[in-house]
Amino acid sequence: MNTFSFDSSRWKLVCNVIVVGISLYGIATQKFTLKENTLFEKVFTEMVAPIQEGTMSVKDSIAQTFDRYIFIVNTRQENERLKNNLDKLQNEIFSLKEVKKENERLKKLLDFGKDIERRKVLAQIVARDSSSEFKVLRINKGESHGLKLLSPVITQTGLVGYVYRLSPNYADILTILDQNNRVDAIVSRTRTHGILEGRSGFTCQFKYVSRTEKLELKDEIITAGLGEIYPKGIKIGTITKIDKESFGITQKIEVTPSVDFDKLEEVVVLLDPEGSTEKPDEIMSLSVEEPNE
Amino acid sequence: MNKYTLKDILLGVLKTSVLLIFLELISSVIFPSLGLQNFKPAFNVLIVLFLAFKLETPGLAFLILTFQYIHSIFSIEGWAAGTLTGILISLSVKYVREMLNFSTAISTIVVVQIFQLAWYFLITFIISLKMGDFSSFITIFLGYLPESFFLSIISHHFFLLMDRFWYVDKKQSMGAFL
Repeated sequence: MNTFSFDSSRWKLVCNVIVVGISLYGIATQKFTLKENTLFEKVFTEMVAPIQEGTMSVKDSIAQTFDRYIFIVNTRQENERLKNNLDKLQNEIFSLKEVKKENERLKKLLDFGKDIERRKVLAQIVARDSSSEFKVLRINKGESHGLKLLSPVITQTGLVGYVYRLSPNYADILTILDQNNRVDAIVSRTRTHGILEGRSGFTCQFKYVSRTEKLELKDEIITAGLGEIYPKGIKIGTITKIDKESFGITQKIEVTPSVDFDKLEEVVVLLDPEGSTEKPDEIMSLSVEEPNE
Repeated sequence: MNKYTLKDILLGVLKTSVLLIFLELISSVIFPSLGLQNFKPAFNVLIVLFLAFKLETPGLAFLILTFQYIHSIFSIEGWAAGTLTGILISLSVKYVREMLNFSTAISTIVVVQIFQLAWYFLITFIISLKMGDFSSFITIFLGYLPESFFLSIISHHFFLLMDRFWYVDKKQSMGAFL
């Protein structure tokens, strides 16, 4: 068996210098607004994401079994024959109810945005970012389903985010809650423009709004449609806090997204119109960094 | 000087990678499914701290890079900031190694907590620097604290498991390999 023994401190210095150099290069070139996966990352994601998807399914099955068990306990007093029949029927009803609920959700999703002239792909959420600092969702649709980087993602209740990185069958969505995501938005009532930025938590900040704008709590925020990522008029959320300090030229506005990210299960990805080859430039105009060509 | 064979290293990397992937699945799927959207312990930090504490090897930087790269598949945090932080932490460990004690659960918890604070301070600084925005520095840093307490509490048993992966008992936590 091979055994390695070198001048340890010298090798350590060399290794540290090399890896620190690589890391600094990585930090300098890293983009929090867009990421094009390398081949290795795509392969790795394709290997890992099905496990995440499977884990999510197992968890759902356990939850359903638990629900059924609770139900069965309540019918313990009935005789054996009726109980068996009832259990069977209840199981069927339970399954049908779940299917019905899912159908209703999917129908609402598909009905929503009928006016948006884009192709739509329905996707399920299979995982979330493993770091609590970043608000990213992983969905079970990818390049092979027509998704592209920067494709907008919505639900029937509003805007979710855009596609941040892609592999053949999975995609990561940078949600509007993430502080790296910036959306050009307007207040529906007053048509006031501003930039919506995610914060660390479950709210966003509506920035660069002049102090003179007379905004009110519960004012609805929608996408402005500038750039080519988000279609115009998609609901983002409502104003829940306004701070006008005694100094400065802008006001501090907190927006609570209309999408309940805790309970999000399915989303719709909007694809480019057929034949469209133009690249979205909203990110370029809103972000500090520029995406890769 | 104790030596690791190539087989030891590869086995250690393999076992630790499998463990890390399993733990990342828990953070990215199980915890969010349980409603813990903002509680995702960074198990990669615990692994890197273990390597920094217990493996004094020339190839440590590459090991840190490997595990951070695996972490980057599950998080857009990426590998670079964590790798740089890990190396800085491992360099600082070198100067206080004689004072570190992992013989009891309490001492392990305290040491891990102290170095986690240093880790989160550094990584928050690097990310804020990268984004050019320090306005959320305190918020982000404080957001890591609940997870860091959890990781510290499990660190003693976690390190016992990692000791077995890396044959630390046999090698007396010192080795030389590349």
